[in-house]
Amino acid sequence: MNAIELNGVTWRYEHAEEPALVDVNLAISEGEFVLVIGPNEAGKTTLVSAIKGLIPNAITGVLKGDVLVFGDRVESIKPPVLAKQIGFVFADPESQFTALTVEEEIVFGLENVGWPRETIGERVEWAARITGVEDLLDKPPYDISGGQKQRVAIASVIAMQPRILILDEPTAMIDPLGKDLVVRICAELKNDHDMTIVVVEHNIEAFAPLADKVVMVNEGRVERIAPPREIFRDLDHLLARDVHPPQVTQVFGRLRERGLYHGELPLSDEEGFAGWRTLLDGAAR
Amino acid sequence: MPRSEFAKKTLLGVVPADSPFYAFHPVTRLTLLLVLSVAPMFIDRPEINLAIIATTFGLFWWGGVRMSDLKKYRLLLVTVALFMFIVAYLAPGEKAQLTPVSLAGLTLYWEPMRWAFVSYVRLMAMLFGAILYFSTNRERDVLVGLRTLHLPFPVSYVAGLSLRSAGMFMEDFATIREAEQARALDLDALSLREKVKLYTMYTVPLFAVALRRADEISAALYARGYTLSGQPGTGGKRTDYLRDKFVVRARDWAVSLGLLGTLVVIAIVSRTTSVFSVQSSPLIAFVEQLLGIG
Repeated sequence: MNAIELNGVTWRYEHAEEPALVDVNLAISEGEFVLVIGPNEAGKTTLVSAIKGLIPNAITGVLKGDVLVFGDRVESIKPPVLAKQIGFVFADPESQFTALTVEEEIVFGLENVGWPRETIGERVEWAARITGVEDLLDKPPYDISGGQKQRVAIASVIAMQPRILILDEPTAMIDPLGKDLVVRICAELKNDHDMTIVVVEHNIEAFAPLADKVVMVNEGRVERIAPPREIFRDLDHLLARDVHPPQVTQVFGRLRERGLYHGELPLSDEEGFAGWRTLLDGAAR
Repeated sequence: MPRSEFAKKTLLGVVPADSPFYAFHPVTRLTLLLVLSVAPMFIDRPEINLAIIATTFGLFWWGGVRMSDLKKYRLLLVTVALFMFIVAYLAPGEKAQLTPVSLAGLTLYWEPMRWAFVSYVRLMAMLFGAILYFSTNRERDVLVGLRTLHLPFPVSYVAGLSLRSAGMFMEDFATIREAEQARALDLDALSLREKVKLYTMYTVPLFAVALRRADEISAALYARGYTLSGQPGTGGKRTDYLRDKFVVRARDWAVSLGLLGTLVVIAIVSRTTSVFSVQSSPLIAFVEQLLGIG
């Protein structure tokens, strides 16, 4: 069974003339790491809002088609049940804070879904450790740095140990060090906790090495769904849409177009070094 | 008690890093707020309310609150005083039934001035009680106190959201003002009329931001599985993790009962005797004697 399935989903926001999503079909298997990319205003956030059920339950508009989460229509799932299945980290971490201390922020969702006190304690400790916010628990969430806010937002969602985790532009508002920490957290969740993870991100470089699948969204439509190396092959198509694959991938893509490189496209610096070694070894021979 | 060298920022100011108040359960501290806020309502005699203010300042000192932090309330104290005395001066009531007093060339009426003074001292007693509470309690303590009283979760939760909204409003206001100053707005160069006009204009972006934030918080509540009843999805009783971390001890019971008992005694004495009335006030009698009234 797919973790997430969208069948012919079309969505138009209330008072909007054009639909934000047009006939979207998408299937995501359990345990997959999916990177959603596309230009601004492409419909990426709308897509993940539909998966989370914010559309149509918390946002008004006209929805056609079905969004299924583990086989159930998302609008038929009660919010506390859905919160256990899907965690959602908003682009602006501060917008999701509803509590007065970091600890209470993390605890809030756990109380909503009805966990007992002991489990809540364990989950708070676990989520705080993974995200490195142990020292912030008694601080107000609005009085910490941008990177810390993003980690608190992630902690408050992963504490519920959802089967699916959605992160909407998790590195958009933070510094490079904070970005690295968020990527590290995602890698740990993917590798050690087998979560299904969907990340909407412009910072493709950081998340491409983790992704099993990339979903390219443009003008409300899903244009392509493919593994990262495959989707990044068509560089001109992506760059024309202001979508920038990792620089190392772009360099090797251009070398490949000129017939100078024949291996797999690298997604990370380490793979890039290996690629250069192959090229240099070939030249030396 | 040594003054705290470190203070922790809260939505409404700062609290000491360490304070003997923290040895008490938040509900005990809430009871103190209740008593300090309600007791002055039963008391007209200004010297007793002044004694409550003095006690409150003693508690500020004992609680490790930096007295310099209280300076920021000076403007509030002066503004409230000005407002109350100006109202008493400009709208004294039926003058024929009042006692005129000449002071520095002005004709004042004693009864409304006395009312303004008595009410001002009472208000200050209540206000300093509230300032003491927010100077020695963090946001979490406020919520734990409310929840220990078994208020329904949505009520305490909305109280928390309101506190947070107040903070966000101030942040948004500061952001808008800084943005205007960054575009060369010189507030000092504006006349009062222009300032009023400017502040009126602030309401538009503040209102728009508030609406957006309300939308965002609503989506965040949905995303985290919150339902209007505040009850968990499993249908059982909601775990209150934070409240359960605090234990009401014997000393909390003793202090709370003592405080509430004092409040009850004050209420009974106020209703059954004239001990707390203005007529029993030696201070008022002294001032009347000075002014040659009565």
